[in-house]
Amino acid sequence: MRKYRQSPDLILLGIAFTLLILGLTMVYSASAVKAASQFGDSLYFLKRQLLFAVVGVGLMFAVMRIDYHFWGAWAKLALIACYVLLCVVLIPGVGLARGGARSWLGVGAFSIQPSEFTKVALIIFLAKSLSEHQSLLPNFWRGLVRSFLPVLLAFGLIMLQPDLGTGMVLVLTCVIMIFIAGARIKHFVMMGSLGVLGFVGLIVSAPYRIKRLTSFVDPWQDPKQGGFQIIQSLLAIGPGGLLGFGLGQSRQKYQYLPEPQTDFIFSIVSEELGFIGASFVLVLFFLLLWRGILIAMKAPDLFGTLLAVGITGMIAIQIMINIAVVTGLIPVTGITLPFLSYGGSSLTLMLVSIGILLNVSKHAH
Amino acid sequence: MRISNVTVKRRLLFFLTIGLIAFAIFIARLAYLQIFENNWLMNYALNSWSREIPYEAERGRILDTRGKVLATNVSSPSVLVVPRQVKDKNKTADQLSSVLNMSKKRAYEKISKNESIVRITPEGRKISNEKAAEVKALGLPGVFVAEDFKRDYPKGNFLAHVLGFAGIDNQGLTGLESYYNEGLEGKDGHVAFFSDVNGNRMSDLKDEYIPPKSGASLMLTVDSRVQSIVERELNNAVAAYHPDSALAIAMDPNTGAILGMSSKPDYNPEKYKTVSPDVYNHNLPIWKTYEPGSTFKVITLSAALQEKAVDLKKDHFYDSGSIEVGGAHLHCWKKGGHGSESFLEVVQNSCNPGFVALGERIGKDKLFSYIDKFGFGVKTGIDLQGEAKGILFNKDKIGPLEAATTAFGQGVSVTPIQQITAVSAAINGGYLYQPQLAKAWVDTDTGKVINRIEPVMKRKVISENTSKQVRDTLESVVAQGTGRNAFVQGYRVGGKTGTAQKVDPKTGRYLSNDYIVSFMGFAPADNPKITVYVSIDHPKNTVQFGGTVSAPIAGRIIGDSLSAMGVKKQKGGLEKEVRYPDQPMIKIPDLKGMDKNDLRNALFNLKLETKGDGDVVTMQSPKPGIKVKQGSTIMVYLGDKKKADD
Repeated sequence: MRKYRQSPDLILLGIAFTLLILGLTMVYSASAVKAASQFGDSLYFLKRQLLFAVVGVGLMFAVMRIDYHFWGAWAKLALIACYVLLCVVLIPGVGLARGGARSWLGVGAFSIQPSEFTKVALIIFLAKSLSEHQSLLPNFWRGLVRSFLPVLLAFGLIMLQPDLGTGMVLVLTCVIMIFIAGARIKHFVMMGSLGVLGFVGLIVSAPYRIKRLTSFVDPWQDPKQGGFQIIQSLLAIGPGGLLGFGLGQSRQKYQYLPEPQTDFIFSIVSEELGFIGASFVLVLFFLLLWRGILIAMKAPDLFGTLLAVGITGMIAIQIMINIAVVTGLIPVTGITLPFLSYGGSSLTLMLVSIGILLNVSKHAH
Repeated sequence: MRISNVTVKRRLLFFLTIGLIAFAIFIARLAYLQIFENNWLMNYALNSWSREIPYEAERGRILDTRGKVLATNVSSPSVLVVPRQVKDKNKTADQLSSVLNMSKKRAYEKISKNESIVRITPEGRKISNEKAAEVKALGLPGVFVAEDFKRDYPKGNFLAHVLGFAGIDNQGLTGLESYYNEGLEGKDGHVAFFSDVNGNRMSDLKDEYIPPKSGASLMLTVDSRVQSIVERELNNAVAAYHPDSALAIAMDPNTGAILGMSSKPDYNPEKYKTVSPDVYNHNLPIWKTYEPGSTFKVITLSAALQEKAVDLKKDHFYDSGSIEVGGAHLHCWKKGGHGSESFLEVVQNSCNPGFVALGERIGKDKLFSYIDKFGFGVKTGIDLQGEAKGILFNKDKIGPLEAATTAFGQGVSVTPIQQITAVSAAINGGYLYQPQLAKAWVDTDTGKVINRIEPVMKRKVISENTSKQVRDTLESVVAQGTGRNAFVQGYRVGGKTGTAQKVDPKTGRYLSNDYIVSFMGFAPADNPKITVYVSIDHPKNTVQFGGTVSAPIAGRIIGDSLSAMGVKKQKGGLEKEVRYPDQPMIKIPDLKGMDKNDLRNALFNLKLETKGDGDVVTMQSPKPGIKVKQGSTIMVYLGDKKKADD
């Protein structure tokens, strides 16, 4: 029995698998030194990432088979559950703080970030509600503002952790969805100005963010403190040159570059694989974006379109912010690189998201 | 209102376009960083990966004029710590601190520093080889022993003030070590190896060795043979007279080259930390300023001869014992005066009223212009730091009295180096040189001369002919006048004694019984090869008179130095009034009851040793009437007047 009109988008699947394998390789290469010195096991990070990759791929194929309309029915409930978790994570003693943000729930390595799940839940919820109330969108209050309210609530809770990076990804993804759904351009300009003002306010309200901004303007002024991360990243990328030092030959991973296996994994990619390898990864990412938008365009209904845009947008925004940070184009913000960075929640969720996208692609008309 | 699918699609394409632009920017940025900025970032990265183990440059040596080593280096180990490699900070600090005699807390702080390499200064710098072996034996991870150099002065106190010393980082701190530091210090090298943050080697990058570059060696004009004689004589003088201080300079009058220079108290440059800074910071021959006394009369004499103000043999002067100038009476050192004397005898007798008259003949403006020309009142420019200028009378305030006292060396304040430089000019044909210690820069490794430092002639002060007259006159002072004790058999010695009262810096008045006794001599008188100035500050247990204390010292320095330098003995000079060995015996006069200050009038040919603190002679040995050889020593006991009358 043939339920779907199409087979899933195999190009997207191929891109996802290529990125997954590249990611596992790079996580090992980038983390081996650190893993050996910290845990006495150079495979420490790889093993964990591999576990999540297997689980994630399993989930991806499972989700691929679930009709995406199923998610719309559960979206509201899932989002409410996420709001609860976002509140719970803020309770000291329950939520775990890492790197200055109380973002984790759980025990040790097997902990999750509610904000990651919130992103997906919110995308589904928004796709559902926007597709149901699209005709209201040109109305500023009843359309646009109403759509934004659940986004702002999630953003507010995430900012209490505080995690500006995830918050930004969340808001920008939703903005893209609302824009594509057909909100008025002039409303966008208004909201955009407001958003910029709010963003400035957020930066000014936290001294460490101002410091990041100043050290971004000239990192070489203060190479040991504020500019340290970005300089170490540039010292990995630059010497990589055209062809790179070769896989496994990074020098900066010898504990010069902090977090080589997570936020700054792209620096190690650039160092070991050079301009050619790093560009290849970027091209893969762009193809992912292209396939995602193609799926959105071909989706049979607005819900499918918006769901595909939301997922593609989320992945694209995260990629863009991460790449812009490690290449020194924007100030340091803690965001991982989809598929490549070490991190179980993130990888699993990415694969699940791709699974949803693949299902949408099967409905293409 | 219905939103068309067309709008959605258009906006989707718009979003894709934005994405395309963003990725294009990223690829451009990567190309910029990895291709355009590749070199710069690579170098920066290499720097951040490399760990440098410093190799200290060997400091240039200091050599005497014939290449004898005066300052050199011995290799000396230092402890280095790479804090990130230290495994057990507590244990490391504990063991290191006990070997290096430092507190554990300090050691802990040192090895916990957030630096790639830490030197344990000063406890772990330039330590003994035994200590270094102990540190190595501990086998502590992250603790290394590197070879440094320690400055070594093989001759100890020899030439200490001139050489100065270098500090723990081989930086010159005083003397020539400081003045010529730039040339001497060289450039440090290092071995760089590439490592991760923990200091572990990144094996695929080659080590880089930048060898240290030795500093150049400095060859001096100083002749260590002459310097040895100078040091010996001053040490003897210190032992005999316990002076407040003593100094001597030997100069080649024809170039301004310093042949020897010393002052006491001195110090060992290797142990400068145990010495008061007042001792090592004050190089007396260039730093000390005082009234020169009669040695300054050479300047007055030169001016008078150059200005043809006097005919020494024909012109006469009557010394009544004092002379009145501007309402003040200036006394001759000899009570009752010298009576009628030629101006040559005025010089030989060092007669103060006679020199006042000489000064008046020259005229005060002329006299002071010669003082300027001879280089007084300004630094000589010798290649040492800390030189003093001395003090002359303010030109606008010079009256007859100031001119008169200046003529015989009072009221002006000068440095020893100014005096010997000026007198050298007076006797070398009239050329004023800049005194100099450095002769050449020499390559430390090959011994080849890199560049020679030429003598600097500043100006001509008097004519050749005048200079010859000055030489002849001063030779007669030694042969027949107050300078007899400087006479050296076989060399024609010229010279001038000086005895100057010291001024109390607090009251501005002259101190009683506190003199600086000096002698300025040179030889051979017809073609001078050496000028020597000796100055003894407040000698004890003797008559404080330049002719008695300083002249014999200067004589010995001149005689021994000339023969060490290979200057042949000669004949045809002015002989001492009585020929050796037909020396007549001297009948010892009765000195009992004589005032202490009058003692120096009588006894040019006898040495005096005094005991006691009084002002009047109470006893003497040998007894009056006994005949002794010239140069014999008479012991006199000083007491108060009453006792002597008994």
